[in-house]
Amino acid sequence: MTEEEKPPFWGSWARVYAGVAVYLALLILLFDWFTRSWNR
Amino acid sequence: MRPLDWAVLAASLAGIVFYGMWRSRGSRTTSQYLLAGKTMPWYAMALSIMATQASAITFISTTGQSYVDGMRFVQMYFGLPLAMVLISAFAVPRFHNAGVYTAYEYLEKRFDGKTRALASIIFLLSRGLAVGVALSAPAVVLTVMLGWPSHWTTLVMGVLVVAYTAGGGIAAVTWTEFVQMLVMTAGLLAALLTVILLLPSEVSFPDALAVAGAAGRLNAVVWRFNPNDQYNIWSGLIGGMFLALAYFGCDQSQVQRYLTGRSITQSRLGLLFNGIAKIPMQFFILFTGAMVFVFYVYTQPPLIFQPQAMAALEQLPEAPQVRADYDAAFAMRREAARRLDFEAFRAAQKRVDEVRRRALALAGEATGQGRINDTNYIFLWFVIHHIPAGVVGLIMAAIFAAAMSTISAEINSLATVSMVDIYRRFLRRNAEDRHYLAASRWLTVFWGAYAIVTALYAQNLGSLVEAVNRLGSLFYGTLLGVFVLAFFVPQARGTSAFWAMLFGEAVVLAVWQFTGIAFLWLNVLGCLCVVAFGFAAGLLASRGRAG
Repeated sequence: MTEEEKPPFWGSWARVYAGVAVYLALLILLFDWFTRSWNR
Repeated sequence: MRPLDWAVLAASLAGIVFYGMWRSRGSRTTSQYLLAGKTMPWYAMALSIMATQASAITFISTTGQSYVDGMRFVQMYFGLPLAMVLISAFAVPRFHNAGVYTAYEYLEKRFDGKTRALASIIFLLSRGLAVGVALSAPAVVLTVMLGWPSHWTTLVMGVLVVAYTAGGGIAAVTWTEFVQMLVMTAGLLAALLTVILLLPSEVSFPDALAVAGAAGRLNAVVWRFNPNDQYNIWSGLIGGMFLALAYFGCDQSQVQRYLTGRSITQSRLGLLFNGIAKIPMQFFILFTGAMVFVFYVYTQPPLIFQPQAMAALEQLPEAPQVRADYDAAFAMRREAARRLDFEAFRAAQKRVDEVRRRALALAGEATGQGRINDTNYIFLWFVIHHIPAGVVGLIMAAIFAAAMSTISAEINSLATVSMVDIYRRFLRRNAEDRHYLAASRWLTVFWGAYAIVTALYAQNLGSLVEAVNRLGSLFYGTLLGVFVLAFFVPQARGTSAFWAMLFGEAVVLAVWQFTGIAFLWLNVLGCLCVVAFGFAAGLLASRGRAG
């Protein structure tokens, strides 16, 4: 068991984690758009 | 329920139990029983983790919450993906490399035996108190709505769960949860599609969204900060992240899931998938509740969704007047919605809310229960009275699956901590593996029996049940704090960590008792107190040693 284990995609865990953070930001923007569009 | 519903429910439950037992056959060592021999693939862990989090009462009450308060509850999960990243980066490799069975075993490797014992006892106390509630709460709701004898509902669920959990250990728990999560997803999608199809033909989907939005039910993001309100983006991101860190980093019912991974990569992928999938799933559960609200804008719902409270109200002399007021307010709201006149709609909605509040207060006085909250009964009322045969059985199976997945995870983790951190550590060291395997099975049966007995008793405890459930969340911040000390504060030693936990817990209990702060912030506070105290005490001790 080593720290060097690579993820199966995107080359490094740092990139995978960054991808998750970007996903969260996009999701919040999407929900905010949804709220602004419909919740009046 | 109709015969087709019973058939779907029975087939789903039998399928779940047999599949779990079949996949977990042949657990012959403690490692296989408690950690599935570290063979689990990421997708099984991911769905198992999601199923553990989704209890029946969450499934039932989240939709009801959206019906009365809108979708802002979804923000509670915004911190989850960030927590999954932090746990994947820092906790998973440490736990895997330490070769531990429980998170608390790691604390002895890093600190000492008393810190491990204290953390284990905090976990056993808080989870032990909650496990009976997890079993009794859905039984109470199903009894009220369907007239099922509550003791039998509790016993059937409890005995099924104990049978496969004691028989197959963590592998049975994980594989049954994998299927339970699929059943839950199918039930959720069936409910959402059905409610949309049941809307009147003249109401288009955009009109339905506009009506829900006009009533404030589509408020998925609230930017305004309020420390006493946990449903805004800030408490969701920060408080929710700390809650998720504590739950996934220190609660054995979750840690044990990713310790079963066949590698660090598999465990990380399981956790990250959970972080990615959980928010959309909660969104759709809440959206279902919002659509049930829209459905009841056009179809008159009962004044009170809890049948017993409604029956009590009917006995009062004020009942005819309240009912007449409600009928008038409902008709006004329906007309306004049909015209898409949102100003009139909001005024009518306010009137409907006022009449309902008055009815609930009167029913509360009549039953002697004080304040009645019928949120947990809204979704089930809709399911029973409006959903076609077959789909009702599937949704009931989903609710049972949600209950069983949470209970099996809890009794499995309670048995693991009792065996590894208490029995094997303090009572019987150096016995044969066969002995510990048998002890694990018996402890699972013990915790299962304890859960059933507590659940049967808890049904008579009323509001105490709610208090106990909330009490469980008071310990998470302290547990998280001691793991942060273990991972990131090299100066911290066993004694300072031990006292830091006690100090942090005292502060959390005092703040909870004397302020109205939202509970999500207590996790942040508990963690910070333990880290600050542990860091300062460790620093002083190391200076003392140097001096």
